[in-house]
Order: sequence, then structure tokens, then C-alpha cells
Amino acid sequence: MSDMLFKASHLKKSFGETEVLKDITVEVAQGEVVSILGPSGSGKSTFLRCATLLETMDGGSLEYEGKYAVRDEGGKAVYASGDELRKIRQSFGLVFQNFNLFPHYTALKNIMLSPVLTQKRNEEEVRKEAMVLLEKVGLSDKADAYPGQLSGGQKQRVAIARALAMNPKIIFFDEPTSALDPELTAGILRVLKDLAKEKMTMVIVTHEIQFAHDISDRVVFMADGNIIEQGRPQDVIDHPANQRTRDFLNLLTE
Amino acid sequence: MGNKRKKANRLLCLFLAALLAVGFIQQLPSGKGGSTVTAKAEAKESGDTFTVGFDASFPPYGYQDENGEYVGFDLDLAQEVCDRNGWKLVKQPIDWDSKDMELNSGNIDCIWNGFTMNGRENDYTWSTPYVDNSQVVVVPEDSDIQSLSDLEGKIVIVQNDSSALAAFTGDDATEENKELADSFKDLQQVADYNTAFMNMDSGMAEAVCMDIGVAQYQLAQRQGKYRMLDEQVSSEQYGIGFKKGNYELRDQVQKTLNEMEEDGTFDQIAEKWGLTDSVCLADTMTMDFADEKAASSADASSDSTASGAAIAAKGNSGSFGQRCLSICGQLGKGLLATLAIFFLTLLFSLPLGLLVTFVRRSRFKVLQWIARIFISILRGTPLMLQLLVVFYGPAILFGATLSYKWRFIAVIIGFSINYAAYFAEIFRSGIDNVPAGQTEAAQVLGLSRGQTFRHIIFPQMVKRVMPPVTNEVITLVKDTSLAYAIAYTEMFTIAQRIVARDANLMPLFVAGLFYYIFNALVAAVMARLEKKLSYFE
Ligand SMILES: Nc1ncnc2c1ncn2[C@@H]1O[C@H](COP(=O)(O)OP(=O)(O)OP(=O)(O)O)[C@@H](O)[C@H]1O
Ligand SMILES: [Mg+2]
Repeated sequence: MSDMLFKASHLKKSFGETEVLKDITVEVAQGEVVSILGPSGSGKSTFLRCATLLETMDGGSLEYEGKYAVRDEGGKAVYASGDELRKIRQSFGLVFQNFNLFPHYTALKNIMLSPVLTQKRNEEEVRKEAMVLLEKVGLSDKADAYPGQLSGGQKQRVAIARALAMNPKIIFFDEPTSALDPELTAGILRVLKDLAKEKMTMVIVTHEIQFAHDISDRVVFMADGNIIEQGRPQDVIDHPANQRTRDFLNLLTE
Repeated sequence: MGNKRKKANRLLCLFLAALLAVGFIQQLPSGKGGSTVTAKAEAKESGDTFTVGFDASFPPYGYQDENGEYVGFDLDLAQEVCDRNGWKLVKQPIDWDSKDMELNSGNIDCIWNGFTMNGRENDYTWSTPYVDNSQVVVVPEDSDIQSLSDLEGKIVIVQNDSSALAAFTGDDATEENKELADSFKDLQQVADYNTAFMNMDSGMAEAVCMDIGVAQYQLAQRQGKYRMLDEQVSSEQYGIGFKKGNYELRDQVQKTLNEMEEDGTFDQIAEKWGLTDSVCLADTMTMDFADEKAASSADASSDSTASGAAIAAKGNSGSFGQRCLSICGQLGKGLLATLAIFFLTLLFSLPLGLLVTFVRRSRFKVLQWIARIFISILRGTPLMLQLLVVFYGPAILFGATLSYKWRFIAVIIGFSINYAAYFAEIFRSGIDNVPAGQTEAAQVLGLSRGQTFRHIIFPQMVKRVMPPVTNEVITLVKDTSLAYAIAYTEMFTIAQRIVARDANLMPLFVAGLFYYIFNALVAAVMARLEKKLSYFE
């Protein structure tokens, strides 16, 4: 048992013959903000999908708040029972690159749906909380808008509010801004910075180097299904030790 | 009678009806009925084709044998007539209900098919009668019915538009026969005799009334399982019907027939088909032609041969508006049945389709395959065939005795499972088209599989499937007419019976209009639903 909020150890994942994640170990402490950088195809999304139980991993273990979601038994990944997984799902949230809002529900209903359905909370109470969240992401006037009537940036804010409404311990973000224009990107990054100030635990896959530098407690650099380098942003981003990290950063800043 | 043919014929009828509607309505005879366009002189020469129209389910006169060949007493006669004249015989099976359309359109040269003259004297140009036929009653061997009076309170079957039906309910039916028919529990009409015997086998009817020649043939075929009552219902005569006014061709055929009678060929053929006791050409070959008699007595007030004209005239009497109203009223009864099929089918097939979709998408391979096979069979075979299987299956497979209501229940079951198969595939593709991200988002938010389906997938699926579902619903409106396959009387069946009775296409046109209006309403309702669902993209 560790005192870490989230711990993935020796995570392995293959799609058919291709080994996408070779040996990934990442720990995230309460209140920590971790950014994951790395070239396209290096397995960042696959890692998040394994961590959020959308994809089944082949080997390694996965823990949330000291509880095993996946155990490593002789090199094989063994999943916990459905009941236990259902409980564990309540402790994390995920924000998708392309939002995945429910198009047939209003912004407000998107946020309220799961707390009412899965946490069986009082609807009025949830509505009040959802309105507070919408205000927090700057969209109190769009409560009754359908996703089709919102801009990309607004959709992503609703998606963030939807994740927050579950009161998760940790939220994963998979390139939350890469589907957005630069002006909209700034707005989303501001929301994330506010969350960081409130000590929300976050794991963010991003290509925004400056943002990662500013917001992160720790930066993880991935390539070819391995973690090449990790540490404080001042070290990994400003003074990378590894040649691959340097090449990748140079490519981005060119 | 081929079912696919039948459907094609009915569609053709509808189409023709629509096409002819305008010109035809103006041309409706205002006074006497049945006087359709008069044919020009149409004598044949050696080398010409001679097309005989016949109902391919009327043994021994004309039917399809095990090898798929059309054979029968009448067809043998026709072949001999052709051989002697150097004509080429074409045997054209027809939907009996469409015989007038076939003849008047020139698709066939004559109707030669155990064709009853009585009551139709005025509608065709006839040969002299060549078969004297009687109507008899056939019951199961072990039945306790011995005489006509024993039929009281029983369900009796006759073929649509058959002589037996006319003998009981036609305008020239005797009072005796009308009373007899009134004493039945029900007088049901079926499309062919096979259906009639199947109904009797399954206990849905106790007796079948038919022509004596047909009865003898059927009894021989069904070896000892049935018997004929000694008492006869009525007697009548068969002739060859030509298009009205086509005397040239009639005379050519009559002359050849008379020659065949004189040299014994006719009797040989009759013997081959076991009809020696029924044929009567020898007595009639020198008689006056029936239609000429009818014509000469048309003005005379009460002549028995004028009754045919009376029947035909009934449908055509009154003003155009009155006629329309009368037809609408008659079709109205069928419309209720059509509506019942339509709504009940939707009510059952939509949820059933969803259930099949679930099974099809189940995690278990076995279930997936069961659903696949179900869908593939129901989509891969004609709905008409499925209706027949549902209707007759229980009686044939399990010997079940089915209630009178079963006919309607079978229609609803048949339609519901057939449409469920189509809906299942539509729903499945609708579900597959909801982006995977929706399910993933729901999963991360902790929704169970059931909650995900109910709250996330289903509402989006409904929107996606609206256009194909609309198509199916519109098809269903038209498909309701297939209930005819198991003689369930809905609107189109009634329309065809009126056509057969009145020799007038208008009922088809009116029925077409009903279907059109019905579908326009359906389309409007579906468009509204689609609009209601357009609040999200
Ligand atoms: N469902 C899948 N089936 C087969 N291969 C997959 C699947 N998902 C991802 N891959 C492969 O796994 C590798 C890693 O993909 P992943 O999406 O994790 O990369 P990424 O680091 O997120 O890249 P990007 O920065 O472009 O988003 C890629 O080569 C990809 O083609
Ligand atoms: Mg990715």
C-alpha cells in the first residue's frame, strides 16, 4: 500500500502484435498536477484509457487511494470485481479531447445526469451545485443550451464541469485544448489553472509546453510506450537530460 | 396459386387502376353494366398464338402438376383445338380475381377453366356449355354430417368468387340455398381448395362446398379421408369465355370442338380426366349461344339469363357519386381490419425488434447466432409465406385445433415478427452509429450498462432511425393487403371482390386512394416526430 492517490505500476498494453505500453509506472500524490508530454503515438492516450478503465491492460497493477483496481498476479493483470470497480470509478474523472458531451441533454442536464443516476443524490441539490460549477467555468448563461449550440471551448468547459460534478479525487485530461482555436485554448487553460490553485489532483496530457511548465508539479515524458524522463518542469523542460526529450522539445519550439 | 404472382398481380391491379382512373371514370357505363369495350373481329390464322387464361389451382380443369407443368382437362382440349388449327397454345395462369382485366386487356384470348356460365351469360361471348357441373359438399370421412340439413350451425368454406359461393349468396341463388347458408355458423371464403382442406384438417371448418368435378378429383387425391354428401346444392354449366364481341374466335373454337365431339376425341379426353359423367357437349353443340339468347331477351322483363346482367348492373347503378359512396362504405369495413393490422403490428413489432437487437448484440455467441438466423430467415423469405406458416403451422405440426379467432391472431403474429426483424436491423445500425465516445463518457461517469442504454444510447438511436423506420411504416400500410394470403378480409381483399362482382375497376382506385391518404397521414405524423427530435444534433 502506498499513500499515493493514484499509482500505476509496470503497466503493459498491446494491440495485437504492437506493444503500445511497455512498462509504465506513474504515481500521483494528493493535490499534485502531473503533465504528460511525448510525441504522437507514444501511448499517452492509451495510458489514460487504461487508467480510467476504458481499455483493459495486459500486465501491471492499478491503485486508487490504496485500493487495487487491477492486481499484478504473476505478470498478469487481474481486475477487481464489478462492484469494487464501480466504487473505484467514483474516484476519478476524465475529460476527452473531443468532449463527448451528450447531445440530447442541455449543458445543465449533462452535468447533473451522473450524480443523480449513479450517486442517487437529491436532484435539487445537484442542480444548485451544477449551476455553481457552470458559473465557475464561466457559462452560467448557457445552462439550458444543447451542446450543438455551444462553441468548442464552451463544450470543453461543460465537460470539465461534468467531471467535477462527480466530486472525483483525480481528473485525467487527454489533450483538452487540441481541438480548439488558440483564443479558446487560453480560456480552458485558465480554468485548469484555477483548479490547480484549489489543489485539484490532475493528470494532463498536453502539447502546450509553456502551460505544462507553469502549472505542473511534475512532468512525465513518454516515448514509444516507455517513460523516458520525469521530474520538476524546471528540470525536464528547461534542462532535459535525455536526447529524445531534447529533440521533441526542440521540434515543438521551432 | 403462386403467392408471389398474386402479390405482383395485386400491385399491377393497383397501378393499372391508378393509370386508368381518369379516362376510365368518364367511360363508366351509366346504364347497363358489364358492357365493356367491344372487341373487334379477332379471327386467328394458322401460326398465330392462342392464349388460354386459367386459374392454376383448379384441378382437374387446369393446374400445375408435380413437374411444374400446367395440365388439366381444359388445357388438353385447348391443346387439341390449337393442334387442329395450327395455332400455338400459350397457357397463361391468372389470378382468378383479375380474369376480366386479363381478358379485356388482351393478355389472354379466352378463359377456359371450368368457367361457370350461369349468372355470367351477358359478360362474355360464350361457347356452348361443355360440362354440366353440380355443387356438392365434402366433409371429413368421420364427420357426422350426412345431409345438407346437418350443416346447420357449422362453418362451411367456399372458394372466392366460386360457383358454390354464388349458389349460396348470389342474386340467383334459390331461396332454399339462401336459407341453408343462413343456417351455417359461418360461410368462409378462401383463395383455393388446398386452403379449404387445410382449414378443415385443422378443425377451423366442417365442410367445403365445391364443383362436383373438383370434388371427385380432390377425393381421389386425398384417398378416403373425405366423402361427398349425396344431396347436391345446385347444378350449373361450364363454357369457354371469350372477350365480349369476339364472335370470330369463339366460332373457330366452337367449330373445332364440335368436330372433336363428332370424332370421339372430346370424349377420350374427358375419360382421361375422369369427367365422362359430367361432359355434355354432345347435347349442347347445336344449341343457341348463351349470349345471343341473353341479348335477344335482354329487353324481356324476367328471364333467368338476365340475372347475370342484374348482378353486374347492381354495382354500376346510380350516379357516380352514389357509386363512390357505396364503394367507400363497403371498403370501410375492410379499412377497420387494415387499421387493426397496422396498429397492432407496430405495437408489437417495435418492442420485439428492440428485444431482437439486444439478443443480436448480446455477449453470448449462441444468442447472437439465434438472432442472426431469426433476422435472416424473416428478411429472406416472403411475408406471405410466413403468414401461411404461422397460420397453418400449428395445425400441421402439432395437430392443434385452432379457434375461429386464430386467423386474425396469425396475421398479427406474422406481421409482427416479420417487421420486428426489419426493425431489429434498423435499431442495430442506429445503435452502432452512436459514437463510441458516448458510451465511454457514460462509462467513466459510472453509468451502468442499462443506464447507458436508456439515457444515452436509446434517445440518440431513436433520432437516427427515424427515416428508415418511416420507410418501413409506409411499407407496412401497403403490406397489410397481404393478409389476403390467409383469407383475412381486409380492405384490398374486399376491393378485389367488389371488382370481381361488379366487373368494374373503380373499387381498386378507391382503395388506392385510401392507402394513399393513409400513407400521407403516416408521413405527416412521422415528419412531426422527426421535427420534435430535431432539438439536438
Ligand atoms: N484501439 C487500438 N487498436 C490498435 N492500435 C491502437 C489502438 N489505439 C491506439 N493504437 C495504437 O497505439 C499507439 C499509441 O496510441 P495513442 O493514442 O496512445 O498515442 P498518443 O500518444 O496519445 O498519440 P497522440 O499524441 O497522437 O494522441 C499508436 O500507434 C496507435 O496507432
Ligand atoms: Mg492521444
